Amino acid sequence: MKKLIAGAILLGASSMAFAQPGCGVGAMIWKGQSGAAPHILAATTNGTFGNQTFGMTTGTLGCDTNEAVKSLAMYMDSNIDKIARDMSRGEGENLETLAVLLGVEASDRDAFRQTMQNNFASVFPSSETTSDEAVTAIVAVLESHETLRKYVS
Amino acid sequence: MQRFLKSGLSPCLAFVFVTSATVPVYADEPHQAAPDTAALALMPSWLTLLSYRPDRLSPGYTSQADDPEFFLSPDGKTSPQAELEATLKAIQAPGGGDDHARCRFPARDRWLREQLDLPLTQVNCPTYDEWRSTLNTETVTLVFAASYLNSPSSMFGHTFLRLDPPNRSEEADLLLASTISYAADAAAHDSELMFAYRGIFGGYPGITTVQPYYEKIRLYSDIENRDLWEYQLNLTPEETSTLMAHAWEIKDHNFDYYFFDENCAYRLLALIDVARPGTHLLDEVNTHAIPSDTVRWVVDHDLVASVRYRPSSATVVQTYLDQLSSEQREHAAALASGDISVDDQRITDLANDEQAQVLDATYEYVRYQTQAEKWPRERSASLSYSLLKARSELGHETPLPQPPEPEVRDDQGHDTFRISALGGQQGSRNFAQLTLRPAYHDLLDPPEGYRSGAQLQFLRLDARLYTDNDELQVEQLTAVEIRSLSIRDQFFSPLSWQVGFGGRRAEIESGKRIFTPYLDGGAGGGWAITDQSQVFAMATADVEIDNDLDKGFDAAPGADFGAFYQGHTLSAKGGLRTKAWLIGGQHREDSVYADASWHIRRDLSLTTGWERRHQFERYETRWQLGLNIYF
Repeated sequence: MKKLIAGAILLGASSMAFAQPGCGVGAMIWKGQSGAAPHILAATTNGTFGNQTFGMTTGTLGCDTNEAVKSLAMYMDSNIDKIARDMSRGEGENLETLAVLLGVEASDRDAFRQTMQNNFASVFPSSETTSDEAVTAIVAVLESHETLRKYVS
Repeated sequence: MQRFLKSGLSPCLAFVFVTSATVPVYADEPHQAAPDTAALALMPSWLTLLSYRPDRLSPGYTSQADDPEFFLSPDGKTSPQAELEATLKAIQAPGGGDDHARCRFPARDRWLREQLDLPLTQVNCPTYDEWRSTLNTETVTLVFAASYLNSPSSMFGHTFLRLDPPNRSEEADLLLASTISYAADAAAHDSELMFAYRGIFGGYPGITTVQPYYEKIRLYSDIENRDLWEYQLNLTPEETSTLMAHAWEIKDHNFDYYFFDENCAYRLLALIDVARPGTHLLDEVNTHAIPSDTVRWVVDHDLVASVRYRPSSATVVQTYLDQLSSEQREHAAALASGDISVDDQRITDLANDEQAQVLDATYEYVRYQTQAEKWPRERSASLSYSLLKARSELGHETPLPQPPEPEVRDDQGHDTFRISALGGQQGSRNFAQLTLRPAYHDLLDPPEGYRSGAQLQFLRLDARLYTDNDELQVEQLTAVEIRSLSIRDQFFSPLSWQVGFGGRRAEIESGKRIFTPYLDGGAGGGWAITDQSQVFAMATADVEIDNDLDKGFDAAPGADFGAFYQGHTLSAKGGLRTKAWLIGGQHREDSVYADASWHIRRDLSLTTGWERRHQFERYETRWQLGLNIYF
């Protein structure tokens, strides 16, 4: 399962603009979009829109971390604003996807959700937090948690 | 205007692990002496696999693939038999590896071997095998991106396939599933006009892309604000495997893209036709393949196991705001505008669950506005962050309910081709009128399954037969007409707009009604009266060009004030319209109008209209009554 996900993530990543090697690419969380897709032509046309990249910077996370963390980083780059939202509420499908990527078992999910919500401010210390900083912080939060530690070791 | 991705975007795949998957081995039977390739080549399955369509003017076939690499025979584009013979030879050639015909065209290989009971040795196709195991597909879901409220041209919708992995223990796994879609690969330097032209008349290559579902959700749900409908297909594992094998065959080959027929939906239908022989979804396509229609065909062919609804960000925002109390709404508006901060007493005095509701709804609203109204980062980032931080400190609170699934799905709305048979009177002349409208929806059509206030019509022809002298006249030919009447309120201030062009009858001073090309447009606002009705006010502009006009053309600023109601059994609209023609006769044209439709069934309405017009110091009344039939 984990391999499947890693595959899916890399598959997606490589078809996006950021095919650089490395883990996180440091997407800003609340970067304003550079423009909505053109509604006038939206449906009939279905062109490939090249503008859906999200303020990437080049910061990378050490990639010798385990496969799950790597996948996590890729997912965070694309979905960081929604992950932050779900984390603040302690629930939501993007938070669940994080848990899936980390392999968090059903019995630990409640602890995972609550830990993430309680530690929102340490994962996202400011509005300038980037996705790779958030990944590093998530790993640190989980490492210091008694039962969740095993998912990032 | 967004730029389109520079060409050269072939699906770029990265593989992270290798498997030992191999092509299955079939019964080892002796060669048939001489296979009847002529008969085999005309079997529907072969024609579908190679995208052959019958020629219009001669008895042969031509493939829609626009890429010589798609064929093994130099005559493959136009000769199903030559291609079949070449394929038969190539798949029996010794060896293996990615360049072997069996690896390049696994679905053709599989089909031919089944037909001819060919002996089979194992073949090693490393890249294909990796691709298959990476995509790890158990079932396939057709995803339909619906239209969005203020974007009538998105009404056609968009479709793509999601490849669902086995052992889906939870919904979250599906966000990570891959999708396959087919799109025009427009060059970045093309202007919008060129884009539209080449899209309609050809010239763009169509390419297949593979992306994770969450990227699609980002694009359609969050950026374009389109609800998604997920139709899980009931393909067997064998059929799914064939679909994937054929997807591999076509994915790196060019099929020219045309907006109206050979579009995103078309290629997906072809994949399904190959997966389940005998389905013949492509036979449903005549002049155009509107994605929402193609979804209907898929449903009608009993291909759907289950349907799921995924609301867009816009739908979620609206639903959240609707659920707040009026006091909470005031607070949300004040928070979003920056008038108060999250630690303001008016917020902190609320009970925890009410606070959470306000913060959640405000966050969704701020994100929506940032996206749709392009709020700058300085404004949205710190506000977004403070909302989330305050929310996280509240701990767990029951969230606001998500938007409910609409009772009528988009594919369950009225069919889009409409024929109207009418009788009426123009001034003192009686007429019978026939109206043909190939697509798509207007304000008075049955509203279920469509966005309210949205109207999109293409290639509509109104032809009249006047009974006094049996004169047949084209009353109007609408090339395109788009209207988007959307609601303004405390939180949203969308522009209502309309644009249209074509040819129409216009009365000149002599009283003669001439047929003149026209272009018209307008912009304004709309406000809700009830859930199903609104009033609107538009500033309009009209241009007409014809030799019979004084200066050869005329132009008129104007205004249109009206109201409409869109109900289950009755839809109605009415209003006042005024235009000041400036160039030729310099005259005012004022009219009052009322139209209504009674929806007897979803495919049948009784329709009526009335208009009284004043210009050139004359009054004239028109009315008509008739039936709208949808199919």
